[in-house]
Amino acid sequence: MDRRQFLKCAAAAGGVLAAPALIRKSFAQSEGPFRVRYYPVEPGMGSRDVTSAPDGSIWFCGQRNGTLGTLDPRGGAYKLINLGPGAAPHGVIVGPDGAPWVTEGGQNAIARVDPKDHKVTLFKLPANRGSANLNTGVFDKTGIYWFTGQNGIYGRLDPKSREMTVWDAPRGRGPYGITRTPNGDIWYASLAGNHIAQIDRKTGNARVVEPPTPGQGARRVWSDSKGRLWVSEWNSGNVSVHDPADGSWRQWKLPGERPRAYSVYVDDKDIVWLTDFSANAIVRFDPTTEKFVSFPSDKANANVRQMDGRPGQAWGGEPGNNRLVVIETNPAA
Amino acid sequence: MVGLVPATIFFASGAARADDAGAKLFETCRACHTLDPAVKGMAGPNLSGLLRRRIAGDKEFDYSPVLRQVAVTGAVWTRERLEIFLSDPEAMFPAMWMSSKPMRDPAERKALADFLADPKSR
Repeated sequence: MDRRQFLKCAAAAGGVLAAPALIRKSFAQSEGPFRVRYYPVEPGMGSRDVTSAPDGSIWFCGQRNGTLGTLDPRGGAYKLINLGPGAAPHGVIVGPDGAPWVTEGGQNAIARVDPKDHKVTLFKLPANRGSANLNTGVFDKTGIYWFTGQNGIYGRLDPKSREMTVWDAPRGRGPYGITRTPNGDIWYASLAGNHIAQIDRKTGNARVVEPPTPGQGARRVWSDSKGRLWVSEWNSGNVSVHDPADGSWRQWKLPGERPRAYSVYVDDKDIVWLTDFSANAIVRFDPTTEKFVSFPSDKANANVRQMDGRPGQAWGGEPGNNRLVVIETNPAA
Repeated sequence: MVGLVPATIFFASGAARADDAGAKLFETCRACHTLDPAVKGMAGPNLSGLLRRRIAGDKEFDYSPVLRQVAVTGAVWTRERLEIFLSDPEAMFPAMWMSSKPMRDPAERKALADFLADPKSR
């Protein structure tokens, strides 16, 4: 069912609400300065996964109010798009068509939102796949959308033919974050399964690869420019890296007491950005120096669950505070 | 006596259906939780013996700050509190680490609460 619905962002005016960004400068030792900006969005919406749009705006999921948001960072104005009854969007990426594609768990569907008229198109999972607890998606180089569901599935969708295939994940529940390497391989992380897995794009089979730390809770995964896979480990509090070329692993414990590494994102300079729920912080890791720099939120309970970005900017959502956050690297440049 | 047999069967099968519904609803939760007291190290706290247990009462789990604050009050999980929680977890405990959509259907909330409250559930 296709829908187009704009939600009012302000009680009186409707449409666009402009909220000034809150700006904070952070001087990290020999790494900075970095500039941190916060963008308040709709109260109670649970602003979580984000991605950068080609026009400079930021797409973000409102898991609690069933919307996809679009933010203009220049002034902080945003719009919310209703994804349908019962919607609870988890992840968003931009496809090769320039449109945001959403893992829409509430309707057990993949949702495409037209970036111009905001028309919503749903690609529902097969009826025999019940509630998949859809999590995250990624496009491969041929335009096929690959996705995960925490209830123990992964799948593919061909947007042109609308053909969708869903597979049972090896070891059942857990498929969470998913990524594409520069050579086009697709990998996902299994939180409950404590592993990462490579999907054979021809057969659909998944090959399990286990990190060295038992019971680590591999939650999200992101490829760097060399095809190495960076993994945020929720249970162990580690960030680990696997090089499929030689099968090697390395891992580092995040700073602080009992860290909880929720998300990982690797930027265009191969800097690794993590979020740590225990520290209420975004954490930058430089693989060259092996040093961490922490950016605690200026508010408690930020709970940044995912990050994405573009050159010079690392973005995240703070669902606990109903804000978006961006860390700008070398903002003076 | 004869007349009671069908009624007994009816109630027994009715109870089984309720249990099945709760077990089915709990499938989504199993990605992070277990009801088996022997299982440790999952992404979320162990939920065995949840009813009448202190909120944030799994000693093996490091809860979110909001739940740690509740824990110090000594508040426990009651049946009523559990169903209110299931109706919208983040409304009861804003900014908790768990991200879960509200359960709007009262019948579903009851079925899941039944399942969680049953010490035999695994």
